[in-house]
Amino acid sequence: MSQARSSYAIGTGLFIVLGFAALAYLATQTSSLANVHQGDSYTVKAEFTNIGQLKERAPVKIAGVRVGQVQSIALASDHDVADVTLSIDKRYNHIPRDSVATIFTSGLLGDQYVGIEYGQAKQVVAAGGSLARTKSSQPLEEMLGKFFGAGGVVDNVGGSYAVTADFTNVGTLSVGAPVKMAGVVIGRVQSVRVDPVKLNARVVLAIDKRYNQIPDDSSAAVFTSGLIGSQYVAIQPGGSPDALKNGDEMILTQSAMQLEDLIGKFMVNGSPGDKKDAGDGKK
Amino acid sequence: MSARASQGRNVATNSLAQIGHCGLFLLTLLAAIPRSFRYLRETIRQLWFVGAMSLTIIMVCGLFVGMVLMLQLYHVLSIFGGTSASGMVVALSVYRELGPVVTALLFAGRAGTAITAEIGLMRATDQISAMEMMAVDPIAYVATPRFLAGLIAMPLLSCVFSAMAIFGGHLVGVTWLGIDNGTFWANMTAVVDVRTDIVNGVLLKSLVFGAVVSLIAVFQGFTTPPTSEGVAYATTRTVVASSIAILALDFVLTAFLM
Repeated sequence: MSQARSSYAIGTGLFIVLGFAALAYLATQTSSLANVHQGDSYTVKAEFTNIGQLKERAPVKIAGVRVGQVQSIALASDHDVADVTLSIDKRYNHIPRDSVATIFTSGLLGDQYVGIEYGQAKQVVAAGGSLARTKSSQPLEEMLGKFFGAGGVVDNVGGSYAVTADFTNVGTLSVGAPVKMAGVVIGRVQSVRVDPVKLNARVVLAIDKRYNQIPDDSSAAVFTSGLIGSQYVAIQPGGSPDALKNGDEMILTQSAMQLEDLIGKFMVNGSPGDKKDAGDGKK
Repeated sequence: MSARASQGRNVATNSLAQIGHCGLFLLTLLAAIPRSFRYLRETIRQLWFVGAMSLTIIMVCGLFVGMVLMLQLYHVLSIFGGTSASGMVVALSVYRELGPVVTALLFAGRAGTAITAEIGLMRATDQISAMEMMAVDPIAYVATPRFLAGLIAMPLLSCVFSAMAIFGGHLVGVTWLGIDNGTFWANMTAVVDVRTDIVNGVLLKSLVFGAVVSLIAVFQGFTTPPTSEGVAYATTRTVVASSIAILALDFVLTAFLM
């Protein structure tokens, strides 16, 4: 009887130990606790104008190596910047004072983390000190906008003046598309409509008043940003001493190249050439 | 028409009466906890029976749940080129849902039925009455130790189940399908949070499930008609009521905890 009793007592004890061992394993090996370093750390502050999706306990990395984590995120009391407190392992205590803290995104859709790039200064940042130089997170929309040429919104507060340009084909140019000179956005497409008499596209460009030195013999062209990007109007300056004024018309225009046209031309022009080459080869 | 209506009312009032009865029984059980400390040895014996003896089925089932989960995920995620995320999806789904729920269902089938049948037969063979004659409180000696044992055993079993599921997922994913070992663990540790996933998910849910399953099992055993047919019905009702209670409570708990 007592032997049977002690056997189930041992079995129960083993069961409890196994259960708690499994719990400890789950908690320490498979969870974020595995990333928390137990060592001493010191805190450094950094101010960001935009933290994006940065969360508390997000990693802090130097050269891609995890050195700490974000301890707290708060809005600064006096102005609209985010006060981020970074908790960094004591072992990494020689971060130059002019290092730059940047909010990066891991991958295209990944979580955000704080990356520190070393500066040149001899002095190191002290515990409780702050990193003065920071780069905020770049919202993906803004980056994509820049990439597709729709970003860099023109400051229209100063007003704009309207210039018209006739194109035989505007492609998929739409109202609100950017007007660029030397790649810089200087205005917007105000309207696109068909001229009932000339039967071509009449585009009204609203150009920022600050750019009032554009020669009146400049040419306008409809370009595509990238291969699949949106279309925009590019202005190539001419040589005339007179500047474009409100209501002027741009005479020199270059219509949108359509991909279908280009492919058609390539195929029509390409094949006879090929044949000729082949013929030359034979001779 | 009226007969059917009155029958429906009977079913409704009967279920309400069952629930009320069960609630009162829970109060009796809780009140008997201090008295049952005298029978600590009995509690440990029950813990051995419902916990340690359930380990085999829990471990084997956990292993296979993790393995099949990884296999399914790998094939779906490979469409999107996201197989490196499969480890973390296995971990999250096991910790938040499958671990506590499947463990509780297995526990109801393995231990709940045994408790109901044992107590039912004790009643059928008048052992309960005999205890009362000998001035042994059957609630403190029979019911509470089993309830407490279920309460303690469930979270531990759930932890063992989850660990085995992770192990099974690792076995299939890393050893057989060739997911990188470092990626597997790094993605998992990046998303699993101790408080929301392990404490709220595994521990709290399984504690509630353990309490509900043991309560239903003990209650059904104590209220069964003392016949062999009654014991059979009570055992069936334990499984049915526990399963419904587990899945319904799982939804409520998830809604509150997440």
